[in-house]
Amino acid sequence: MEETYETKIEQLKRIIEKIEDGTTGLDESIKLYEQGAVLVKQCEMLLTEAELKITALSRDA
Amino acid sequence: MDWFNRPDDIAAADRAPLRVSELSAIIERLLDSPLLRDILVRGEVTNYTHHARGHRYFSLSEKGGGNTAAVIKCVLWRSDAERLSFNLSEGLEVIVTGTVRLYAPHGSYQLQVKEMRKAGMGDKFLLVDQWKKELAAEGCFAAERKRPLPAFPIKVGVVTSETGAVIHDIRTVIGRRYPVEIVISPTVVQGEEAHREISCAIARLAGLVDVVIVARGGGSFEDLFPFNHPDVVRAITACPVPVISAIGHEVDVTLSDLAADVRAATPSAAAELVVPDRGVLLVQLKELKTQMSTALRGQVAWARDEIADMRDRLRPQRFCRKLEERKQNIADLSDRLERAFSNRVDRERLLLAEIKTALDGRNPLAVLARGYCVAEKNGVVVRSAKNINQGDRMKVRFYDGSSQVTVERVDYGRNV
Repeated sequence: MEETYETKIEQLKRIIEKIEDGTTGLDESIKLYEQGAVLVKQCEMLLTEAELKITALSRDA
Repeated sequence: MDWFNRPDDIAAADRAPLRVSELSAIIERLLDSPLLRDILVRGEVTNYTHHARGHRYFSLSEKGGGNTAAVIKCVLWRSDAERLSFNLSEGLEVIVTGTVRLYAPHGSYQLQVKEMRKAGMGDKFLLVDQWKKELAAEGCFAAERKRPLPAFPIKVGVVTSETGAVIHDIRTVIGRRYPVEIVISPTVVQGEEAHREISCAIARLAGLVDVVIVARGGGSFEDLFPFNHPDVVRAITACPVPVISAIGHEVDVTLSDLAADVRAATPSAAAELVVPDRGVLLVQLKELKTQMSTALRGQVAWARDEIADMRDRLRPQRFCRKLEERKQNIADLSDRLERAFSNRVDRERLLLAEIKTALDGRNPLAVLARGYCVAEKNGVVVRSAKNINQGDRMKVRFYDGSSQVTVERVDYGRNV
């Protein structure tokens, strides 16, 4: 998982709040939606493409 | 001397006899003493029975010659018995913690046992108790220093043996829930020197991972002993990221468990705590996606309503009405203008006809046509004979021409 899954989700939530907020203009809402859609796609990728990686530290370090 | 009426006996007869329950209550009060509360007792288990309901009944005996032989009945309730990390059996030398209470229905006192351990381990137990006090004083177990686990760790450190079921279980669970990078910091997990290795293994992970799992499979008190060592406890509290402990079985609580930010019952449970389930995350993501679409659709619908409203307000009905009014006005005016003009023209035409008639009446040529002449002298019409003299030259105009004449004579008369 990239370091940004959490922040991406936070961004996504903020975007939704903004769109839901009546004071945001339609143009801006559409832009926000486009950004949000990109975030959703990235998050989906992060979740579905996550891979188990194992490293072992040396004992004498 | 009256053997049958001694003063003492009279007094005894005056006192009301106690009921047995009252006597029991007095004894119970006497037994409610700090000397008999939460005491440690060492002895051998005898008369052991495992009751069907899960309670354990036994006696603690001290064998020995003469005065030292003694026995006390004990009971271990099921809830406490379930926490035992070993099987109770006849003849076992144990150290118990408990409180002496009266059991009135049997008219006997008994030791209600809360905790129990094998006597052979006594010294180590005492050591753990001592460490626990010291470490507690250092604040190692304080609730306020417990840190929350990161929601989405990128790297998970695991301090455990690199072989065996523990690391396998952790890998399996993390791989199933949410694959991340697992950094194994290998260590031995039992033995005399284990505490050194374990604390080094924890320290080694500093700065490399977001969260640490310290794990070990089940084992005896002896096996788990290194995890009680202050070195390990302090390494856990010094760890810059949150630590989850999963040491032994749920019933075994080591000092490491107390110091960890989160205690898990098993290594698998620790792995479940450390990463979210991506299946759940995907569902949440889908919900967010839907929520976002709904929000935008709401906005668009709202905007559409607004446009419709504005279009209604903008529709030029009033303007059109005004335009019509003006057109009507112009038409009226133009009608009036035309009418006024044609009236005027008609009138002028009449006037002109009259004038023409009048003019015609006065046309000198018409008079001339009737046979009259007009005499002019020097371009001026001669109206009177007085204005002419003999020899004047005059122009005489006829209706169809004129002639130049010379006056021969002038006669004055009333009527010419």
